[in-house]
Amino acid sequence: MAALPNSPRGSRSQARWRRVRDVPRFVLLVVLAIIFLAPLYWMLTTSFKPEAETISIPVQWVPANPTLENYAEIVNSPDGRLLRWTWNSVFTAAAFTLATLALCVLAAYPLARMRFRGRELWFWFILSSMMVPGIVTLIPSYIMMLNLNWIDTYHALIWPGVANAFGVFLLRQFFLGIPRELQEAARMDGANSLQVLRHVILPLSVPVLVTLGVFSFMGSWNNYVWPLYVATSPDMQTLPVGITSFSQRYVTEYGKLMAGTALAAVPVLVAYLLAQRYLVQGIALTGMKE
Amino acid sequence: MSPATRPNQRRGSLLALNESNPLIPYLFLLPHAVFFLVFVIYPVGYGLYISLHRWNLLEGQQEFVGLLFYRNLFDPSTPQYSFFWKTLLNTAFFTAVSTPLLVGAALGLAILLYRPIFARAVFRAIFFMPGILSVAVMGILWRWMFDNQSGLVNVIREQYFDLPVIQFLTTEWWAWVPIIVGTVWWTIGFNMTLYLAALGGISPTLYEAAEIDGAGPWARFRFITWPLLSPTTLFITVTTVLASFQLFGQSLVITNGGPVRSTQSVIQYITEEAFGNNQLASASAMAFVFGLLMLVFTAIQFRLMVRDMNAEGR
Repeated sequence: MAALPNSPRGSRSQARWRRVRDVPRFVLLVVLAIIFLAPLYWMLTTSFKPEAETISIPVQWVPANPTLENYAEIVNSPDGRLLRWTWNSVFTAAAFTLATLALCVLAAYPLARMRFRGRELWFWFILSSMMVPGIVTLIPSYIMMLNLNWIDTYHALIWPGVANAFGVFLLRQFFLGIPRELQEAARMDGANSLQVLRHVILPLSVPVLVTLGVFSFMGSWNNYVWPLYVATSPDMQTLPVGITSFSQRYVTEYGKLMAGTALAAVPVLVAYLLAQRYLVQGIALTGMKE
Repeated sequence: MSPATRPNQRRGSLLALNESNPLIPYLFLLPHAVFFLVFVIYPVGYGLYISLHRWNLLEGQQEFVGLLFYRNLFDPSTPQYSFFWKTLLNTAFFTAVSTPLLVGAALGLAILLYRPIFARAVFRAIFFMPGILSVAVMGILWRWMFDNQSGLVNVIREQYFDLPVIQFLTTEWWAWVPIIVGTVWWTIGFNMTLYLAALGGISPTLYEAAEIDGAGPWARFRFITWPLLSPTTLFITVTTVLASFQLFGQSLVITNGGPVRSTQSVIQYITEEAFGNNQLASASAMAFVFGLLMLVFTAIQFRLMVRDMNAEGR
């Protein structure tokens, strides 16, 4: 229960006692982990059951007659379009991430490393925009999309969010921590400011770039309110929006509903297990500001 | 950053094609500035303008009406008055219940996981995992878990505990349970990770000294861990409150705001007013009033961020 680290001293018997004392904590963690995994397990189990067995009582913890028919049906279904939605989400998130990184790097560099009139003012201006909740700009932005004829295009999904303030803030703080001597040395060797950015600043900023990249990708991937209104045609919906309309169609066909949900969730879960380290590091890094 | 560390550069001409050109910093800023002004700053002003006119999707802008739509929100005879404040109260209720859970349980998980234990990284990965799912996936999952008839929760209640079925999704108050449970499951890992990082920053010698002085586990928590975590707790609480007030997808997918708007969030109501009722101006006015109310929390968050930035030393 208590948050005390083990003291480095201590005999072997003390160490064994500590191990025994850890047992209840371990059991508790296992129970919690099972509860956390239960909905995901139930999603997968349901998706492999024939429709009639999804609501069988008593509970079928393991499918008695496992089948892939739910998956076959939704992938082939004319109104499923899961692959299309996945592609829309992947393309949007990738383009959004690249654009965010490029814009934020270019803006954070002079804010951290150059002297010019209005630098502080502009930085604070960008920063203060973080106080505006998204709902305030939703309606005017929507009308702008209408006027630009961007409704149901990738433009609407990608561009409006790329100039975010958080990215500039995060990168500027990181760039400030890079020793100025490195930059001066490169200058002595005749590098111009773009070369300093490319050959001195960026190579040293890989961790923070990865962090911002992962956050941007996830932010776009999970974005919900905005794509719900600006990408409504079945071909332009992103995965979260598409899967919602899909869920309204298969509202009582739980096997197919869960197969569709699993197809939306599993690639993300796999990517998470591969890239988990960077994500946790990123949160720790940005949280460390605290 | 002091002038002494940097030799005074000669200012070049505005037309110089080399590093002496004083416009160079602005050129770097330009691409971001264009998108920032067009898609972040301009919509704020445009939204204010919209809220002062009649406006609908078919005909666009109509006549100027001044503060009419703001006054409607304070006039008990309008539907906007009753629905806006009702859904705002719903959202406040959700925030008041979910925030203590999301802060307290996250701290509990972090403390359970902080000291080394077998498979610690696996546990940490599991507790964080739900957070990467999109809100649609999370909502569909929990709607199925709490389904009125065949949901796992009801089936387990019936089969193992012989309890009656609860119509979670369509009963007032009970409908909050899947939304809140789902939200805690979905977002707790984020707060836990922040707490784990903060716990890592507490020096072990403090605990050793306390142990020598005979402090028990509770005393060590109460007088070392808790006070040293208080900046983190404040930060996590403020961000969680703000995130909870943005409630939208969870209740949209799980209950669609029902039964009879009892779980409708204020954001869902604003979007309904805008895109369902085609009342863009009225919805814009609501968004501004909501944004102003949120300013209390965003201002605190902003101050915390600035304080950290200055503490980092420039």
